[in-house]
Amino acid sequence: MPQLHDSRSRHSTSTQPSATAGGCDRIFGLETEYGLSVGGADRPLDISQVAMTMFQPVVQRERSTNTYLDNGSRLYLDVGSHPEYATAEARTPFDAMLADAAGESIMRTMALETQARLRAQAGERATIHLFKNNADSAGHSYGCHENYLVRRYVDLRAIQTQLLPFLITRQIYTGAGRFDGDHWTYTQRARFVDETVSSATTRSRPMINTRDEPHADPESFRRLHVIIGDSNRSQWATMVKCATTHLVLSAMEHAARTGVPSGLERLEMTDPVQANLEVNELGPDAMIDLADGTRMSALEMQRLAWRVIERFTHSHAHELDASLQGDPVWTPRSVLDAWRWVLDRLEARDIDALAQVVDWACKRRFFARLEERGPVDPMRVAQLDLDYHDVANGTLYEAMVRHGLMRVYADPQQVAHAVHTPPERTRAVLRGRFVQRAQQAGVRHVCDWTQVQVLEPEKRTVQLLDPFDSEGTPEYHDLMASLA
Amino acid sequence: MPQEHANAQESAQHHEHDEATRRVASEANVDSLDAVLDDIESVLESNAEAYVNGFVQKGGE
Repeated sequence: MPQLHDSRSRHSTSTQPSATAGGCDRIFGLETEYGLSVGGADRPLDISQVAMTMFQPVVQRERSTNTYLDNGSRLYLDVGSHPEYATAEARTPFDAMLADAAGESIMRTMALETQARLRAQAGERATIHLFKNNADSAGHSYGCHENYLVRRYVDLRAIQTQLLPFLITRQIYTGAGRFDGDHWTYTQRARFVDETVSSATTRSRPMINTRDEPHADPESFRRLHVIIGDSNRSQWATMVKCATTHLVLSAMEHAARTGVPSGLERLEMTDPVQANLEVNELGPDAMIDLADGTRMSALEMQRLAWRVIERFTHSHAHELDASLQGDPVWTPRSVLDAWRWVLDRLEARDIDALAQVVDWACKRRFFARLEERGPVDPMRVAQLDLDYHDVANGTLYEAMVRHGLMRVYADPQQVAHAVHTPPERTRAVLRGRFVQRAQQAGVRHVCDWTQVQVLEPEKRTVQLLDPFDSEGTPEYHDLMASLA
Repeated sequence: MPQEHANAQESAQHHEHDEATRRVASEANVDSLDAVLDDIESVLESNAEAYVNGFVQKGGE
């Protein structure tokens, strides 16, 4: 993971909580590491070289494989040749999904441009596969990570005992599924995750990381980095991951603030890592041992969480409505409705309905149809399972969408717009405009999440400490004026 | 009671409608799934083993 600045060390302004963040307001961010392979080349290729070729335009412009784009997002070539895209800060689940879709589009464009060059050297049939998934064929794993800004008074114990069980069991509808050589699992990632909550970064693979680098006023917020989650093709799943987690976090924040139990304490598991593996194998029917000595199925645990959140939503309608203001798809009520709908469909084993929006179900229904026509070689199944996640040259997911078998929520115009436009009402607006202006002016510059910096004629730095602020400080406007 | 009877009838009709809708939806889905199979013909004809085993990626985080 890229190293992040500790905003505290540069903190020279006041430590007031964000003036622009209301009671449940949230910042969402999605980071995706992509897998890369080349097929059909007429000679062996070094994948690191192919990845570097993909990033050559970036390196040429920035002298680095790390860059921030005019839509406020971050494009990065990671260790081990993972192209990585981290969305800019989003205020709503729809915006987070759209920013992620823009990332897919940007990655696709880079891959296809590189493919054209590759074909000149390695033959007409050289084909780049860019996988938005979580595992290769040799047991290596990588992730789709969700970031949530959370009020700091939610402690690590609550995250372990309340949030984590929710995240483990939500995979029954957010899991992307994977063909494991001889059978289907519900998730891509589960068998590669070995720890629960951690502050360590690169060595272990915890399910949740709490970063003491909150990208905001450190007195008010911490950043939750959720690693237990699959890379989804389903836009519904991407949005629902964010939306349901937002409601759960809001309930937990309220409980921490008031000292009144959230109601989610009941979900504490005795062995989260084991529970994760059970959910991976059995999905909604997985039986989980809880800390209070009882057992519940993953589906029942989600029902319990739903009931708790439904009550909370009733009594906190105003703040929750405000927190999702501007989202064209979601209100707190519609999130609850979709959540209950999917739990009902899971209980009814209604794979036809689930397959429209849940990646593992879409895959399983397709392969059931394939097998009706005759026995299928496991290698073919594995290949199509990968193809489903190929954003550059994939055929299966794209065909699903084209034939109305998988729902899409963002149209091509919206995605094209999001490629060059930051999400609204966050500091991404400021960063995006800065990048755009600096690029137009031909001025060398650097960004990170909490600051923008011009490198010539002399170094000038402006801090962007409030992720909710899209208006900008006087210092920011001075810097922008100097670039005009 | 008459109220219950009316409700039961309504709900039985509703259930039948649901079932019919589901059958139609199911058939439509099967047709669409077959169309998907046609669309991915080129992949179905390619070398699956080369595709799968050709994808080896060092792990991220």
